[in-house]
Amino acid sequence: MKYKSQKIAYNFFTAAVLFFVVQVVVGLIAAAQFIDPDIFFLPFNIIRSLHINALVVWMLLGLMGATYYLVPEESETELWSPVLASLQFWATIIVVLLVVAGYVIMGLNPQANKIVLGTTLLNEGREYIEAPRWADILIVISVLVFLFNNFMTILKTKKWTSIQGVLLGGLTFLALMYLPGMFFTPSISKDQYWWWWVIHLWVEGSWEVIAGAILCFMLVKLTGTEREELEKYMYIEVGLVLFTGILGLGHHYYWIGTPSYWLWIGGIFSALEPIPLLLMVWDAFRIANKHEAKITNKTAKYYVVGHALLNFVGAGVFGIIHTLPSVNKWTHGTQITTAHGHLAFYGAYALLIIAMIYIALPEMRQVKEFNYKRGLVSFWTMTISMIFISLTLIGAGMTQTIMERMIGMDYISVKTSYNIYFWIFRLIFGFGFIAGVLIFVKDYFTLGKKPV
Amino acid sequence: MDKKSARNLFIWGSIFFFVVLVILTVDSMKQLDKRTPPITEQIAEGKMAWHKYDCIGCHTILGNGSYFAPDLTKTAENKQEDYLKKWLMDPRAIKPDAAMPNFGITEKEAEDLVALLKWTSKIDTNGWPPPPILAKAADAQAKELTPGQRIYQENRCSSCHSISGIGGTTGPDLSKVADRRDKDWVHKHFKNPQELVPGSAMPSFGHLSEEDLQALTDFIMTLK
Repeated sequence: MKYKSQKIAYNFFTAAVLFFVVQVVVGLIAAAQFIDPDIFFLPFNIIRSLHINALVVWMLLGLMGATYYLVPEESETELWSPVLASLQFWATIIVVLLVVAGYVIMGLNPQANKIVLGTTLLNEGREYIEAPRWADILIVISVLVFLFNNFMTILKTKKWTSIQGVLLGGLTFLALMYLPGMFFTPSISKDQYWWWWVIHLWVEGSWEVIAGAILCFMLVKLTGTEREELEKYMYIEVGLVLFTGILGLGHHYYWIGTPSYWLWIGGIFSALEPIPLLLMVWDAFRIANKHEAKITNKTAKYYVVGHALLNFVGAGVFGIIHTLPSVNKWTHGTQITTAHGHLAFYGAYALLIIAMIYIALPEMRQVKEFNYKRGLVSFWTMTISMIFISLTLIGAGMTQTIMERMIGMDYISVKTSYNIYFWIFRLIFGFGFIAGVLIFVKDYFTLGKKPV
Repeated sequence: MDKKSARNLFIWGSIFFFVVLVILTVDSMKQLDKRTPPITEQIAEGKMAWHKYDCIGCHTILGNGSYFAPDLTKTAENKQEDYLKKWLMDPRAIKPDAAMPNFGITEKEAEDLVALLKWTSKIDTNGWPPPPILAKAADAQAKELTPGQRIYQENRCSSCHSISGIGGTTGPDLSKVADRRDKDWVHKHFKNPQELVPGSAMPSFGHLSEEDLQALTDFIMTLK
């Protein structure tokens, strides 16, 4: 850590880690509800809203933390306004907690989600962007303040490195792509059309661009060399992400009422989406191997390489297996999607943010040497558990595809009888995953505090 | 390729693909109006209720949602309006072990939601969901069915009831129903289910001809 104001990142990382814990705890409850829907006092829809919203929140907080850490270092100056960053942090946390309270109230009394001024008060009832409209507006303001602060920092020294250019570009794209989710349309088809702009152009667009920039930053940090070369490959990677990802959006427009030309556009472009992810794997391995002697932060290296690899496997491979229309016609809306979602988010973003935390944390605590073992144990515990969670979901998804979609059996009978063992094993591996997360949390709060 | 040309390619390439997306979006919006039925005020209200109860927090529609409960795109094609209304207002009154709780959905909201589901069932979805292979095979074999089996199929009885594990789960399993009920009871029950089972959600099939009802009853009585 070169600049004092980078320390603001610590707040964001700590909040991200805590919401990560919330996400996996409610995930465990959701998994148990697949076996017994009445096992918890809140219904499944509320638990699931919490599960996927905690995910979005902790990842956004993590990306913000990463940005606040990265921008001063790249611009070679203190943050424009640490006070504003701190205010933005606490305001965001308060909004998020209010939204969470709203979900819980709605879980206890569904009628509390009143319709006020043509929109719902507590929960918008749209997957991933359940946060009500008033919270949407506050979140947009928070992101704008965050962007403003970082742009002003860059303007102080006008050192536009490629890394921060791509990072801020990706973040601006992220902010803009939140807007198509903020209006009501009476047509469910049009609703889903714009909703996918938000969801897809986030996770397969702007977030991957941000990931590309942060990956590049981490590789430069770890090895201290080849900046020019790495930045060139970063441009190629994030370029390919958008060239394939923007029209790859078409793979969500096969069956929602949209014209049939999307079958071709979506099929072709989304089949190409794994290519940039494979390039990132090659980049990470090449750099990590070539400069192995220079890399002292072994935990960070594991997470960086693990991120690149599982981004490719989870988002790329698990995506491409069901992205072609001829396959997707049968698998669309089954647990195959859930399997893909779990491994993709874990590989692409959870590992990315944890990697960035391991890059920043030793510097923030001002330790050169720390105990690497715990970080590696948590990496393997989480990763192996998540791979098995995804495999149980793939099993459930294949069973569902064959029995419900191809043979025509009832959804409920497939879910409650034929898939029950997959749910049980998923829950068991869920406990494994939470064990890995808790090891990571312990490491996060204690790393470098005791002399090695 | 040097860094600068990689950068320019990234910037201009991304802008190019985004412009293409915007053009396709303009066209898709126009075509969506033709590929979906017209929207009435009731359907719009239904969609508001859909959001209010966060239905997508468990169900999927057009295949998108939470994978915890059945996809609802074509539900209104298979199930009758009255039945759906009763289910929405109190699922566990119909099926005591249903996963869906009672959300306190009002009668008006239930009617609006059913209107919405009728609308979604008519969207041109490029043929999704495809008819299951077995269902297609069963259609091909329809000539070999007894008249009773054919009526059972035509009236989509299997969307609620199952026989030997095939069919829906919201109505009672009919696998061994002939052991429990006699012919007169079954025949009378088709005409007025609520008279024999107070509070039953089953719609009346009194509109079928006497001949068809007899054939259907005969088929049910073979289920031992």
